[in-house]
Amino acid sequence: MQGPPKTSEPAKVATAWPTLLQDSSRTGGQGICAAKAPDHVRWHLRVGSSVRSAPVLRAGFLYVTAMAGNLHAIDVEKGRQTWQFKAADHIHSTPSLSGNKVLFGCDSGRVYAVDCNSGKSLWKVSTAAEVWTSPVVRDGVAYFGSADSHMYAVDADKGLERWTRELDGRIYSTAYVGERRLYVGCGDGKVYCLDLSSGKTVWSTPTGNGIDSSPAVAAETVLIGSEDFFFYALDANTGAVRWKYETGLGISSSPAVSGDVVVVGSKDGLLYALEIRSGQLRWKVQISDVVTAPPVIGSGVVCIQAGGTQAFDIATGKVVWRAGLGGAVQAAPVLTGDAIYVATNDGEVYALE
Amino acid sequence: MDRRTFVKASCVGSASLFLDGLDPKAFGDVTMPEPPPINIVHGFRPAKSALGMPGLFPGRVVEVSDSNSIVRNRVAQPVVRAMIERGMKELTGEHSVAAAWAKFVEPADIVGIKINPSGAPACCSSPEIVREIINGVQSAGVPVGNIVVYDRYEYEIDVGSYQALLPRGVRVVGIQDGLVDAGYDANIYCQATFFGEWENRSYMAGIVAHGLTKIINVPTMKDHSASGVTGCLKNLGYGTFNNVARSHRSPYSFTDPLIGLMCSVEPLRSKAVLHIMDGMRQVWHGGPLTQVQNFIHQAGILYFGTDPVAMDTLELEAIEKKRRDEGVPSVWEHNADSITSNSQEFYHDPKKNLFYRRPGHIASAGKLGLGIADLKRIDHGRIALG
Repeated sequence: MQGPPKTSEPAKVATAWPTLLQDSSRTGGQGICAAKAPDHVRWHLRVGSSVRSAPVLRAGFLYVTAMAGNLHAIDVEKGRQTWQFKAADHIHSTPSLSGNKVLFGCDSGRVYAVDCNSGKSLWKVSTAAEVWTSPVVRDGVAYFGSADSHMYAVDADKGLERWTRELDGRIYSTAYVGERRLYVGCGDGKVYCLDLSSGKTVWSTPTGNGIDSSPAVAAETVLIGSEDFFFYALDANTGAVRWKYETGLGISSSPAVSGDVVVVGSKDGLLYALEIRSGQLRWKVQISDVVTAPPVIGSGVVCIQAGGTQAFDIATGKVVWRAGLGGAVQAAPVLTGDAIYVATNDGEVYALE
Repeated sequence: MDRRTFVKASCVGSASLFLDGLDPKAFGDVTMPEPPPINIVHGFRPAKSALGMPGLFPGRVVEVSDSNSIVRNRVAQPVVRAMIERGMKELTGEHSVAAAWAKFVEPADIVGIKINPSGAPACCSSPEIVREIINGVQSAGVPVGNIVVYDRYEYEIDVGSYQALLPRGVRVVGIQDGLVDAGYDANIYCQATFFGEWENRSYMAGIVAHGLTKIINVPTMKDHSASGVTGCLKNLGYGTFNNVARSHRSPYSFTDPLIGLMCSVEPLRSKAVLHIMDGMRQVWHGGPLTQVQNFIHQAGILYFGTDPVAMDTLELEAIEKKRRDEGVPSVWEHNADSITSNSQEFYHDPKKNLFYRRPGHIASAGKLGLGIADLKRIDHGRIALG
């Protein structure tokens, strides 16, 4: 079985997309990818069940988790599956790459680390409820939340527990992990800031309803949507609300950041571009009945999946291109210099050129 | 229009059923096709429980309203808490909330809360209401781990963010996702060929057949393009059996009598002990999936009852009244000019529809003994809290 090259070195930036929205800063690949209108399908592959997570990419291999409980490693040159790994239950978690490992959670409450080359399990840890969040790795530690209301920090090499912290609600928000602190939304409606070394709460800020969105951080501002219809900008040091912007319905889409602008979708079907400093609206555009997927920012465009893949000019919000892929598509795309990779609810994975 | 519907039931120990499914208010000059025989197969004898539909309070519906319960499209948690407490006490005649809930559930029960997430996020069972129902069930001593919030489609549950919004410890279950049609019991089904479809069976969800001991039904108040309204009966019947969309193919619908028949199948009938209809938002056109806010009235009401037929009868009246107020045709109207195959036209023009609606399923369910469809016999209590 031919696997990806054995390496723990980061791959070239233009071909690496190791975690949700490209990196733990949720940049969504800003500025590094020449996202252009695709004009044909280079390949497509059926993985057999719905894909509700986002693919990740490194060193010529795309890693896709599918609802039926399989992690698929796909050679992007050939468009063929190299191996697949069967987890104990359904998978909603977007995988994350760390060294030679793919990390992801599953509905049984387990988080797995699987060898990128062989597809063999390296370690697994258990929580008391489903893990839909994506593990985020920083400095050799993987951080993730579970629906059992706990945040976990485990050693990324062996899965040994560093700390756990109980919050007051279910956690479906993927953490943003900074240098000393992590930020995460919670079903209790609060945004939490935890100390990275101990897991202790530094601050928490309530919103008006539960949180299903994952935060981004830019300019010392935590950016996150709430089911209370508002998009929040919080002071990363204190949790104080700097501004909040009201949309028409709840926000479960996670924001993407580009320069001084944050882009987020709302369940009201609109995509909003807001100035990070002031919360002032740059533009908004109706793209579907409902938006729940996170936007992804390429060079000059913001891409989002909602009944197909669409790209908008980051400066104006005008449509640059649309790619209809048939069925509803919710997962975030992966943008590289020469391709766009998307996975669909119908269980298809596409490479668009 | 007059017609008779013949339904064959081959369940263990029961005789065939004959329904007179006349739509009492049907008008228009379109002749509806006769529904085919519907074969029901299951291995359960009807339960003796007094809690099964129509339950402890046949013909009784408590309506609680509060104008502060939904403000700028947001449901106010403290307000709906007070509404639910009042409604439960009023329905049961109990003085305490815990005693009211204890009429329906006991600590050993595995309680399913059947939500309606179709139409999320614009109109679905409000998570705020589901939270309060969970609190109520727990007040009767049911452990949180014995509470399951469920529906057929996990994808729709996800769009509503129920997983994140409900209390920890509660299981949130989508019976199937887009492709995996698992989780159904092959031994309990309704069989009929409506339009020549190759798969003519609809199977009961395993979680209903075997996993739950009680069901609390939380439907929404919605117009439905095929059945006229989606309320208690449709949320239960079409949310329990799979392969139900085959009952309507434009422009015709056989939702009547299929919805009522499905609700009569054991053990669903015996397990569905309480219905709390979410009328925070009232869709008067475009249901069940519309996201067009123009046709969603923020009514701010809740219905409480054990009789799904009585509740749906009142819901139908409410939807009809709203449609009259808005100057659009009755859901009973069968007019060939109203039919469109263009979904966008349907969603944005309340005079258009995809099917000839068949709200007669409510009366048909009444004839099956599931409740009272005669308005004059319904005890409709109204409480305005604010």
